[in-house]
Amino acid sequence: MKARAGAARPVGVTRPRVETGSAAVADLGAPNVARPTMAQREALDRIDLSIDIAPQRGLVLPNPILVASGTFGYGVEYGEVVDVQRLGAICCKGTTLRPRAGNQPPRVTETPGGMLNSIGLQNPGVDAVIEKYGPIWQGWKVPVIVNIAGDSIEDYVEVARRLDGVPGVAGIELNISCPNVGKGGLQFAIDRDAARAVTAAVRRATELPLLVKLSPNVSDVRPIAKAIEDAGADAITAINTLSGLAVSSDRMRAFLGNTYGGLSGPAIKPVALRIVYEVAQVVSIPIVAIGGVTCLDDVLDFLACGAVAVQVGTAIFADPELLVRLGDELRLECLRRGLTSFKPLIGTALPKWAGAASAKGAEYRP
Amino acid sequence: MTMRLVAAELVESRQILPGQWLQSFHAPELATGSRAGQFVHVRTGDYSGLVLRRPFSINTADPATGIVTLHFRTVGRGTEWLTRVREGEQIDMLGPLGRPFEVDPRSHNLLLVAGGLGMAGVRMLADEAVRDGRQVTILFGALSASHVYPSSLLPDEVEYVVATDDGSLGHHGYVTELVPGYEAWADQAFACGPHPMLKRLAALAAGRRGRLGVAKLGRKRGGQTDPLGSTAARRKTFLQVSMEQTMGCAVGACLGCTVIGVNGMLRVCREGPVFAAEEISWEAIS
Ligand SMILES: Cc1cc2nc3c(=O)[nH]c(=O)nc-3n(C[C@H](O)[C@H](O)[C@H](O)COP(=O)(O)O)c2cc1C
Ligand code: FES
Repeated sequence: MKARAGAARPVGVTRPRVETGSAAVADLGAPNVARPTMAQREALDRIDLSIDIAPQRGLVLPNPILVASGTFGYGVEYGEVVDVQRLGAICCKGTTLRPRAGNQPPRVTETPGGMLNSIGLQNPGVDAVIEKYGPIWQGWKVPVIVNIAGDSIEDYVEVARRLDGVPGVAGIELNISCPNVGKGGLQFAIDRDAARAVTAAVRRATELPLLVKLSPNVSDVRPIAKAIEDAGADAITAINTLSGLAVSSDRMRAFLGNTYGGLSGPAIKPVALRIVYEVAQVVSIPIVAIGGVTCLDDVLDFLACGAVAVQVGTAIFADPELLVRLGDELRLECLRRGLTSFKPLIGTALPKWAGAASAKGAEYRP
Repeated sequence: MTMRLVAAELVESRQILPGQWLQSFHAPELATGSRAGQFVHVRTGDYSGLVLRRPFSINTADPATGIVTLHFRTVGRGTEWLTRVREGEQIDMLGPLGRPFEVDPRSHNLLLVAGGLGMAGVRMLADEAVRDGRQVTILFGALSASHVYPSSLLPDEVEYVVATDDGSLGHHGYVTELVPGYEAWADQAFACGPHPMLKRLAALAAGRRGRLGVAKLGRKRGGQTDPLGSTAARRKTFLQVSMEQTMGCAVGACLGCTVIGVNGMLRVCREGPVFAAEEISWEAIS
């Protein structure tokens, strides 16, 4: 097996891994970050991975690799397996005003290149989250962004209000797109006016940096993204899961207790890329990309389509060390290209004339 | 031991029953740090298609040799991949995970009940109990004689009683039908298998208290009871069950693996996979 750049291993441990962009870097003779020379060390140290994902209010992340809501709990569950202090930010599990039991099991199942989940926003409610995790987050240097959900504008506003000013809470991500809870999210995400209204209302309720997360389950996401920007969001995150279905092995019913589930993982990456590409051409606030990231190449693809940072979700389950490794690999990639920041990698694949090529993104074109 | 990512080297792989495999791995961290009832989350080779790890009970763990074994049935592409791993290759295991069986120090006679692949869930408890000088009886149920776990793979000290659905070996019928014959003898029972089997056992265990007057164990003077789900409460209960559910993270982060408990949702990977029977809302289990 090839020595892997950026994969700082515990002693003597090698594991079979999917080849990623870093392997190509190693081939070109780039340094192994685990044991760089002095000069390389200095060059690596000069590379600035920090990024402000909410410039209007200021939410500077140490690097652009975040964990996606719902896949990393409250940041504590993976224990020593993941060094959370080396992450760009943590988006915690979706939080609602009151506790929620979530959907009937079973709630997850694997699908080709992905998985379906129908957790149904199980969470202990915002007050319990603040009480239990606030003090822990306060002691961390990694920013924690609280993902919030509700089934009325008043609910969203009240959750945001309670989070406002809580030490250890760095920002809010509005989940207006969770496809799992009957009436819980979908209306806001699929309706431009509802998306605008909930964003504006939460904007008035808090001074925290506000990210709004798009659903892919719409025919054209651009008017919705634009409405969210106009309503005062600091950034857009995209995408949430795609609505899907699995059938039980006896073929007598749907497999998931909730019937429908949200599709995530590598299978959705092209959809996420398309949506980031489209949204990047209609808004000027930063975009944080989500959807099927499993390796550095995926990160670079999303940056090229206009994202300033990415979130990693499903891939954590197979490869928890990926989170920290991606930051290391991105640093190496910058070194290899002679860059001192990854920012020149952002938006390189977008059309030169904004708007022109994005006109028919959601239509089927053979 | 706290969980970690371990590179486990395959040292032996063999098919012990039709479609069922027993694999031995050199993984000293797991062999010394695991307890009966815990599991590992195994990464498959093909991430492009299979995005989730696969959970397996730790079937046996031998600190002296550093060997842990897994016993599984090929049910899909992940387990088929595992059967093709070659000796000497390393695979990625996250573990040990979940909470173990809790044996009351006063218990001398342990009844283990396993249905089919459920043997893998209780197998290690037999080793631990024999080591600690306890008496062990395993009641095992399978479809037919050709699916019966070989007695040669069990410790000599264990009494092994078999039931088959078609009567081709041992008792003709369900393994749960054997249980009443042992309820007076057993101090505690531990079970793993299909959920309907566990549900039946839970019903029997609930009735046992009535039939035997008071449970021999589980009484506490002063009326103060241990909170449901605590290690202390589990240790004093008659029946502990090891449950299964489809999993995402296996560390408690995604809430994907829940079963319905009497006080709300329970994560099989974190509060379980072993539960006291009283913690589960059996009406909701089918
Ligand atoms: C088990 C699971 C739970 C999730 N829970 C939430 C949630 O509570 N709120 C939310 O906004 N997104 C949630 N998501 C969506 C993810 O944050 C992410 O948008 C999606 O999984 C796509 O990214 P991925 O392909 O990297 O997983 C969840 C995803 C999974 C797999
Ligand atoms: S599998 Fe993720 S919480 Fe249990």
